[in-house]
Amino acid sequence: MNGKNYYSRRFFLKTSGALAALAAIPATVKSFYMDAKRLIIPPRQKQPLIVKVNKQTHKLDVDTRTTLLDLLREDLHLTGTKKGCDHGQCGACTVHVNGERVLSCLTLAATLPGKEVTTIEGLADGDQLHPMQAAFLECDGFQCGYCTPGQIMSAVACVKEGHTKSVAEIKEFMSGNLCRCGAYNGIVASIQKVAK
Amino acid sequence: MGLFNTKNKAAGKPDGRVEGIAKVTGAGKYAAEYKVDNMCHAVFAGSTIAAGTIKSIYLDNAKQVEGVLDIITHLNKPAVPGFASETKLKETRFGLPLFHTDKVYFRNQPVAMVVADTLENATYAASLIEFTYQEDTPTVDFKKAHPSVPLKMQGKERGSLDAWSNAPQVVDQQYDIAAEVHNPMEMHATIAHWTADDKLVLYDKTQGVVNVQRTIAKIFEIPQENIEVFSEFVGGGFGSGLRVWTNGVGAVMAAKAVKRPVKLMLTRSQMFSLTGYRPAAWQRVKLGADNDGKFLGIHHQGKNGTSVFEPFQEGITSITRMVYNFDNLKAEQSIVPLNLGTPTWMRGPGDCTGAFAVECAIDELSYQLNMDPVALRLKNFAITHDPENKKPYSSNFIDECITKGAEMIDWKQRKQQPGALTEGDWKIGYGVAVGMWGAGRGNASAGITMEKDGTMTVKTAMTDIGTGTGTAMQNMTHTFTGMPKDKIKIALGHSTLPTAGSQGGSTGLSSISGAVSAVCDALKKQLADYAAAINPAYKDAKPADVLLSATGVSLKTDKNEFVSLADIWQKNNLTDISVKASSGPGAERQQYAFCCSTAHFVKVRVNTKTGKVKVERAICVADGGTIVNEKPAANQISGAIVGGIGMALMEEIHADEKLGNLVGNDLAGYHFAVNADAPIIEVAFINKPDPYVNPSGAKGLGEVGIIGCAPAIANAIYNATGKRLRDLPITPDKVLV
Repeated sequence: MNGKNYYSRRFFLKTSGALAALAAIPATVKSFYMDAKRLIIPPRQKQPLIVKVNKQTHKLDVDTRTTLLDLLREDLHLTGTKKGCDHGQCGACTVHVNGERVLSCLTLAATLPGKEVTTIEGLADGDQLHPMQAAFLECDGFQCGYCTPGQIMSAVACVKEGHTKSVAEIKEFMSGNLCRCGAYNGIVASIQKVAK
Repeated sequence: MGLFNTKNKAAGKPDGRVEGIAKVTGAGKYAAEYKVDNMCHAVFAGSTIAAGTIKSIYLDNAKQVEGVLDIITHLNKPAVPGFASETKLKETRFGLPLFHTDKVYFRNQPVAMVVADTLENATYAASLIEFTYQEDTPTVDFKKAHPSVPLKMQGKERGSLDAWSNAPQVVDQQYDIAAEVHNPMEMHATIAHWTADDKLVLYDKTQGVVNVQRTIAKIFEIPQENIEVFSEFVGGGFGSGLRVWTNGVGAVMAAKAVKRPVKLMLTRSQMFSLTGYRPAAWQRVKLGADNDGKFLGIHHQGKNGTSVFEPFQEGITSITRMVYNFDNLKAEQSIVPLNLGTPTWMRGPGDCTGAFAVECAIDELSYQLNMDPVALRLKNFAITHDPENKKPYSSNFIDECITKGAEMIDWKQRKQQPGALTEGDWKIGYGVAVGMWGAGRGNASAGITMEKDGTMTVKTAMTDIGTGTGTAMQNMTHTFTGMPKDKIKIALGHSTLPTAGSQGGSTGLSSISGAVSAVCDALKKQLADYAAAINPAYKDAKPADVLLSATGVSLKTDKNEFVSLADIWQKNNLTDISVKASSGPGAERQQYAFCCSTAHFVKVRVNTKTGKVKVERAICVADGGTIVNEKPAANQISGAIVGGIGMALMEEIHADEKLGNLVGNDLAGYHFAVNADAPIIEVAFINKPDPYVNPSGAKGLGEVGIIGCAPAIANAIYNATGKRLRDLPITPDKVLV
């Protein structure tokens, strides 16, 4: 994504200046000019993608730069998955890919063909909340709720991974999910409740 | 337990907050998550210098990026009326004339904005914009800059310095705190949609929709009522949502320029520069006492950083005037302009900073006197009267807080001799400190719409940033009317709802409780009037005598006089009932002083080889009047302690002195407490109603939980190691030196 290319800019300015003088001339020169531009600023590339999200198959044409997080939020309008840093540092965007917890902001959508994604929206069984969702509700495992979907997706995986033998172990394995409200008491209690 | 702690579990659903299901299922919509047709994306390009003037801008490369709709800079911006002159800018109170100046005041200041069809294209194009500058030398180091800034008197001097110049016991020390960033988990974001030339819809992350309306109306010179603001779910604030920032103004400008709805979400690194922070502070506290530990006087000096384009002064010395009896008190403050963004209120603003110095100085005095720091505080608390204005406190249980906290942590395990408790490489220590915050209350309105089946929707424009306002409103409505909770719905965070101030300064619940009480009375009065058409016993019935149930109304008399809602609706030919009421502080504010308070107790382990500090136990006992919502209230306090642990041990922004950029401005570089950094925090409440603060008897808890937490940790580290560390955060390097 970083395009700080001084050589290219000078090259572009020079060529564009020279080409301007040739203005209305041959189509081949014009096409050369267009090619030169493209060398500097690559056009957007799209790639077809078939991906299963929450048991529903989507056929999409995705920008190769699009992350799974932005695909979910911007293209599929599944906004339950949150953007908290976009750098894999906060855990708010945690989803399950093939049943394992994954940071969707560090996952390019283009890497997903054939994979199965579960987001917070796909966790409940209709109106029946997943036990972890119910536990977060009862233990007040959140305040503002923004990190909550990521916490819950991680918590489900944490239980599945078996990292719930002690408060210290839960805390350790949930430390990739930041909560600025500091609702850690309730988060730990929720996981203990489900792990029982 | 609390007055409102009435369990009423709806069948099959777990008991939780009113908005809980929306939060655990991901259905709740935060600012950037609304679906708006034809929406495009705006991304800021930030300055790469911290001080100077923009000389030239190269947009050619960025313009070639596919999907770019517009690039806005100070050279081509659509003129914003509120930024047309210095005078107008002052009136907007916005501070930064976004894209209306060639001046650069701080690094990462937005100097261009790309609007494009997709986020990817906008981000890429923004990275291709190039600037040349005339660079000035920035000033970013607070510690180097503050000594040359003189202090000014802050408030009235009480007594005199001379009166205690011969005090037998004196502590005179200096304390430093690094700047901290709010960093709510949701980054600030706005979707702006011009629905007509002078009509605007905003989906904004804010702690106050009315403040957004007012500010944007001033800046763009359109009527306030033409701006509709949605802020139904807010991903944390801690003060950063009390102002409108560049993302709001930028999105509105961009939407006007491209004539399409525009979404602008800041990046995490932009959050460090563009949405305020708790400024770095320096303090000096000189504290005098007699040999029995009675305080004789205090001289408190404080300075805090601000930006070069906007003055921001923290109320660093305010807390010195509230907690203890000082017959002699002098306070001085000043601000230090730096080439950084403007700081703003952050959880427990001012008091949190001031308490660090004062509570550490008192701890130092206790060791000097060889006196238990709990006993020393108990000896000097101002319990009955506010020592500043001499008004009686309407309620103040800070003494009960500290006594209860000492019991909970088993304070007698603490050794008065520092460094006396050791386990292998670990030294163990105990610390205490207290916090206090004025229990404020503002004006607020609320409305209720009631339907024939008894469903009531209680509404206010106030936001709920995670404090549990909505749940508290439901609890209060249930208590005030008798209506079962599952019939009470809550609507919040939308500017067309009955107006209310921002959720900040711990005034949210206090303000809204008055409004909810008033609107419940209005509803009962209205229902009684309608019922009187059926049963004359309701004629002139007082709201206090009327009781609601899911099916009807009754009177608190022997005869009950039940009238069904169905009959009321039929007899009066109703579709629904809508009432609205407002409430605010009154004469009680002239008669009484109001405060909420906390006592913090911590047990720490300090590793003598690595310098690591582990908070093993953290206890907070709080006086927040009546506890309306026990679980969310305890959550508020324990969350504040997590914030306090961060403040004490890890949080700091560091600016590179030469380049003026912030170092580590992301969530990997900036550490706040993760789950493993905090113990299970133990919270207890005094839970006694305040008789005058508002109809619910509840005092706000948002700020007071963090005030006093950091000094309690610093004091515990001293007790563990014998090292007095007066420079926050106390990172391992400082522990080991």
